[in-house]
Amino acid sequence: MNIKAVIWSGLFLVLLGLYAMGEGSIFIEGARIKFAAIILVSITLYYYIDRARSGEEIYLRTIPGLKALEEAVGRATEMGKSVLFVPGISDMDQVETITGLNLLGHVAEHTAKYETSLNVPVSKSIVMEAGRDICKESYLKAGRPDLYSDDMVHYISDEQFAYAAGVNGIMEREKPAACFYLGKFYAESLMLAETGNSIGAIQIAGTGSPSQIPFFVTACDYTLIGEEFFTASAYLSKKPELVGSIKGQDIVKLLVMVFMVLTLVLNGFFQAGWIGFDILNLY
Amino acid sequence: MEAIKRIFILLGSLDRRIIFLIVGLSVLIPLLKPEWVTLPIRITPESQVMFNEMNKLNEGDKLLLSFEYGPSTKPEIHPMSIAILKHMYAKNILVYGFALWPDGNFMSTEVFSDVSDDYGKKYGTDYVNLGFRPGAEAVVKGIAADIRALYTVDLHGTPINDIPMMKDVFNIEDFDFVFSLSAGYPGSTEWVQFACDPKNIPLSTGCTSIQATDILPYVKNGQIRGILAGMPGAAEYESLVEEELQKMDINIKPGKASGMMAAQSIAHVVIVLFIILGNITYYITRKQTGKDKI
Amino acid sequence: MLFKRHIPLLIVIGVGLLTLFGHFINNTLIQSFVDKDALQWFDIIASFAMFLGALNMLKLQVIKIIKKQKNWQYSILAVVGFAFAIFAGFFYRGANFITISGIQDENLSEVAIIIAEELNETNSFNIENKIMASHDGYEIDKLFITEGNAKLFMEKLTPYVAAAELKSKSWGAHVQTKGSLFYWMFINIITPLGATMFALLAFFVASASYRAFRIRNFEATLLLVAGIILMLGRVPIGGLIPWWAVSILIIFGIGAIVAPFIKERTILLGIVGGGIVIFIITGTLMGWNQNPPYLLSIPVIQDWIFAYPAMAGSRALMIGISLGIVATSFRIIIGLDKSFLGDK
Repeated sequence: MNIKAVIWSGLFLVLLGLYAMGEGSIFIEGARIKFAAIILVSITLYYYIDRARSGEEIYLRTIPGLKALEEAVGRATEMGKSVLFVPGISDMDQVETITGLNLLGHVAEHTAKYETSLNVPVSKSIVMEAGRDICKESYLKAGRPDLYSDDMVHYISDEQFAYAAGVNGIMEREKPAACFYLGKFYAESLMLAETGNSIGAIQIAGTGSPSQIPFFVTACDYTLIGEEFFTASAYLSKKPELVGSIKGQDIVKLLVMVFMVLTLVLNGFFQAGWIGFDILNLY
Repeated sequence: MEAIKRIFILLGSLDRRIIFLIVGLSVLIPLLKPEWVTLPIRITPESQVMFNEMNKLNEGDKLLLSFEYGPSTKPEIHPMSIAILKHMYAKNILVYGFALWPDGNFMSTEVFSDVSDDYGKKYGTDYVNLGFRPGAEAVVKGIAADIRALYTVDLHGTPINDIPMMKDVFNIEDFDFVFSLSAGYPGSTEWVQFACDPKNIPLSTGCTSIQATDILPYVKNGQIRGILAGMPGAAEYESLVEEELQKMDINIKPGKASGMMAAQSIAHVVIVLFIILGNITYYITRKQTGKDKI
Repeated sequence: MLFKRHIPLLIVIGVGLLTLFGHFINNTLIQSFVDKDALQWFDIIASFAMFLGALNMLKLQVIKIIKKQKNWQYSILAVVGFAFAIFAGFFYRGANFITISGIQDENLSEVAIIIAEELNETNSFNIENKIMASHDGYEIDKLFITEGNAKLFMEKLTPYVAAAELKSKSWGAHVQTKGSLFYWMFINIITPLGATMFALLAFFVASASYRAFRIRNFEATLLLVAGIILMLGRVPIGGLIPWWAVSILIIFGIGAIVAPFIKERTILLGIVGGGIVIFIITGTLMGWNQNPPYLLSIPVIQDWIFAYPAMAGSRALMIGISLGIVATSFRIIIGLDKSFLGDK
């Protein structure tokens, strides 16, 4: 019997009990299910992070797009051309932008190591400042602070298509050999990817916008689909606690699937009149 | 046979610029000469549902019309806003304009000024434009909770307490329907999540074609009542509104989206033909070289 | 280290936990922070941060002009455009309007005609009614970008009105009032540019589809067929495609699915060709030319693809992405993932 699992389960029940007791006074009414879901997800994630920290080996399947990151930078180095990194058009309040900037750190380390020039046009000023910090740290860690320049990460425009036009212009003029599109994108995704394709660059894309994924899949060499993009920083850093959170995420997904099937079955029974409980009332 | 194969290979390896030129002409010619091609508009179930919901509104009901689009998506969504205003004005519904995008201010100003005079509608009593406030979800939550905490003046700087039609309006529950003209974030999803679903206010939306797949799950769940997807959706709604207004003996100018459907149809056919051509060429060249060319 | 690592980390963890669990706490102050203040603080910071970006862009473009780097001429356009937008937004209102009062009854129609001419309206009667309905002076529904033009127009009205006053819209309102300089810039420059860029997508879609939709394998064929059906079904022309063309498409689709299992190409051709002929003959005999079956219609098949497979995929992606966002946010909130601070 896994003691830790028992302890965490006990904690979950205790917290839920506390919420039920304080509902209406300390806690708001009618949010029990939401609270339970958040606690369950948090506990599951933390449980697997803890297990990974204790030394458990966690298997992660190969994600071709992430493996190709270093190869793409290497290709640019061989061809004597630059690397273009586009962290999306959203601000730092979007998790995709933060994830994109995490990956910028990894790419910047490679460009520092290989002495390849890096160009990071951004659409938001806060992203520009965060991007500069991340690149500076990466170049410092790679032992090449002399290669870093603030102008690597530069602002173009807040306006969606003005930004897309600016980035397309950079691609057409400078002809980077590797293009990374990692962040939140909207309609400009196809424009960027097609332009990159036309200049013959190797393209790696990843986004959390479901409607833009098909455009990237069509035009890019590698695409990080769905959660692959969000696991990228954990995957590349190989830190046990981060890898553990990926496993926790998968277990949460399994729980979601179990609940979906359970809801389907129980609702079916309710519709057939076999039980009096309508599980849909819970939601 | 060999000659035919060579023709296909030639056509299949056309320069991109020639393909672009043909696609451009296939869009331009029907736009310049819409009378050359007239196509019947098919009404999809989602557009019909949206129209039915809007048509259920009665004289004096309040509609919250939110503008979340800009110049780039204007051709797709602006015809929807024009058609909605015509529909609502004909039924004497009170229209309250909001915007979650800064560009929405310009779009709303344009549509209100273009349509309101034709229906004899007066600012402040028949329609009002409260304009944009920054904050995305915070604005939606603010409208759901207390409009006056967020808006003290309208778009023109008039205090909202001086606007007659704002007299009984305090939060989203005072509206009978919400319509979001959405081209991205923030948009319909935020209206569903933070205002209309929690407060049980009927919501419908008009969005770009690309966004339709993201919003359809909410439509199928009933959280959004019907959807106008892109320009085809705008054309469908325009034809439904024209039919309805003709029943009310109101003659209206034909909408722009219907006229643009011919251009979109022909462009789609041209792209499909190029895809088929490309595949025939791919098949022939693959056979000739004897190995897969990827 | 304190200011670069520990304090930012404490802020992230503190605000993150407060925003996450504050939603459940029955306290007005906390609810207000979670629902409004936290988001508005971000907007305020982002608005001020915009100066950084704008100055950075300006600096790079000006350096390009000064050093006459490659294509420096385009940088002049960038700087001029930037300066014009700042001028129209912050320095020059360009939103002058005229109010008139004290109009005698005998001059009313003349004044209405002059105003109608200026507004390019054919019917001056509406304007007459509006003037009669106004009590504290009638505001002419036109903005003049320059005072000179406004005064020129005022001179035409002065013989017929007791008082004509030239006013200007307030700062802020001038940006979104129709007819102002900023509005003119938005409608005549920004809108066509934005629409043009969005329109380019049509060409990019054409070239991407042309390159990507190839019958390489089963999945690619499925993508091709679904793409063609959706493209044709979404537009009116899809409804004009006859039932027999749809039948041919379906039989080709079935042929593509079974093709890997049939080694002899002649047999495959026979099955597909024969299937098409039999289907068309059967359909003709069953009167499908006059009354085609509901399912042999591209728009109907497109509706089904949209409503079921496409939406199932979209929902699955949304759930997966949401879980990814939850896990990433959790790592950031508990301080495990510090890569946004540059620490990997």
